[in-house]
Amino acid sequence: MADAEPSLEGWIPAIGADLSLPRVIDLAFDYRGNTTVVTRDGTEVEGYIFNRDADAAEPFIQLFEADGSGPRTIPYADIRTINFTGKDTAAGNSYAAWRRRKAEAQRPADPP
Amino acid sequence: MSVPVSQMWAVASYVLGQRLRGRMRYPLVLMLEPLFRCNLACAGCGKIQYPAQILRKHLSVDACLRAVDECGAPMVSIPGGEPLMYPDIGRLVEALVARKKYVYLCTNAILLEEKLEAGIFAPSKYLTFSVHMDGLREEHDEAVCRDGVYDTAVAAIRGALRRGFRVTTNTTLFDGASPLRMRAFFDEMMDLGVEGMMLSPGYSYSKAPDQEHFLRQRKTNELFSRMLANPKRRWKFNQSPLFLQFLMGKHDFDCTPWGNPTFNIFGWQRPCYLLQEGYAATFQELMATTRWEQYGKRSGNEKCRDCMVHCGFEATAVDRTFSTWPGLRDAVVSTVTGRL
Repeated sequence: MADAEPSLEGWIPAIGADLSLPRVIDLAFDYRGNTTVVTRDGTEVEGYIFNRDADAAEPFIQLFEADGSGPRTIPYADIRTINFTGKDTAAGNSYAAWRRRKAEAQRPADPP
Repeated sequence: MSVPVSQMWAVASYVLGQRLRGRMRYPLVLMLEPLFRCNLACAGCGKIQYPAQILRKHLSVDACLRAVDECGAPMVSIPGGEPLMYPDIGRLVEALVARKKYVYLCTNAILLEEKLEAGIFAPSKYLTFSVHMDGLREEHDEAVCRDGVYDTAVAAIRGALRRGFRVTTNTTLFDGASPLRMRAFFDEMMDLGVEGMMLSPGYSYSKAPDQEHFLRQRKTNELFSRMLANPKRRWKFNQSPLFLQFLMGKHDFDCTPWGNPTFNIFGWQRPCYLLQEGYAATFQELMATTRWEQYGKRSGNEKCRDCMVHCGFEATAVDRTFSTWPGLRDAVVSTVTGRL
């Protein structure tokens, strides 16, 4: 396992025939960082999506905004797309990465 | 088993009461996460990887107590995050003890000495510090990704015991754990004087960074069988003997995901402490609207396939103990003989 685990950080999804909005919402729900939700009227809401219910009578997501306010509920029907704009807080924190960092820290410095 | 008789009685009467009422799905331990902030960043933990605005948040004491009352479980486990970083931890614990809830405060113990010296907690049969210890010094410091934490925790355990607190340890086992080293660890914890130890295999969280070192079922059975073979009489475990036997492969249990419901700043977590498939606004909504049939080994859900973690199976073991004669017999025999 390497530091370079796959991450969606920086991804701007192109929603279309090959990529549905519900799929992007699921990926954003699993993402451990802030995302930017772009609504149908062009409004952008940056925050951490912590909940989504695709089976509700009116499917929705819930997020805490980047300034800490919320939770804010946004219906699926109002979402145009979601961009993965925030840092992926899970990336690069693997056990293997820690062991490698530890080994590097313990390695004697190269002579001058 | 090292669980005090009063606690055992409280749990037994609660379980029997639920069964007599015909309630098939009931909570046993509320997992109350007042915050996600932690002073460690362990590679095996998927609980703390959040953006800053989430890590800054915490539940109010009132919100915690509403959740406790709503849920009604006789035991409350406070994990996190690191609960000793919760600013109102003293007030919360005091209120839970006043409600006669058996509280397990799960801590890495880095701040424990400081909090004890400040007099934030009072010893009580209802309060147990459950100190995270993943093995002997070398293994523990590696698991928590920081050197020196083992020694800090040992000093804090001594300090808590000296002040008359109940102290247990909780240990998560990963692939590569040495049965011999773990047996030495059990000896060391008993020498320290802890009341009992809690063990669980790790779970391959989809959101935990370390996916390679979690145990699969067959390996889990092998590890626990070797580790707990001919257990020493002095080893005390603060958990159901049936759960330990399950880890050794002696029982075939399915998960009880509603047994340890989880409440945190997002709400009531579906379906369990480990999986995050969404949140309900109330405990009642969680119980009524979660599609429980989609979880557990027999559901075929691949996320549940290899899971043997305490938060899903300890409740199954306890229910089996107090609701079936063979379960009660096996638990009594194990308790009396010390054999697993």
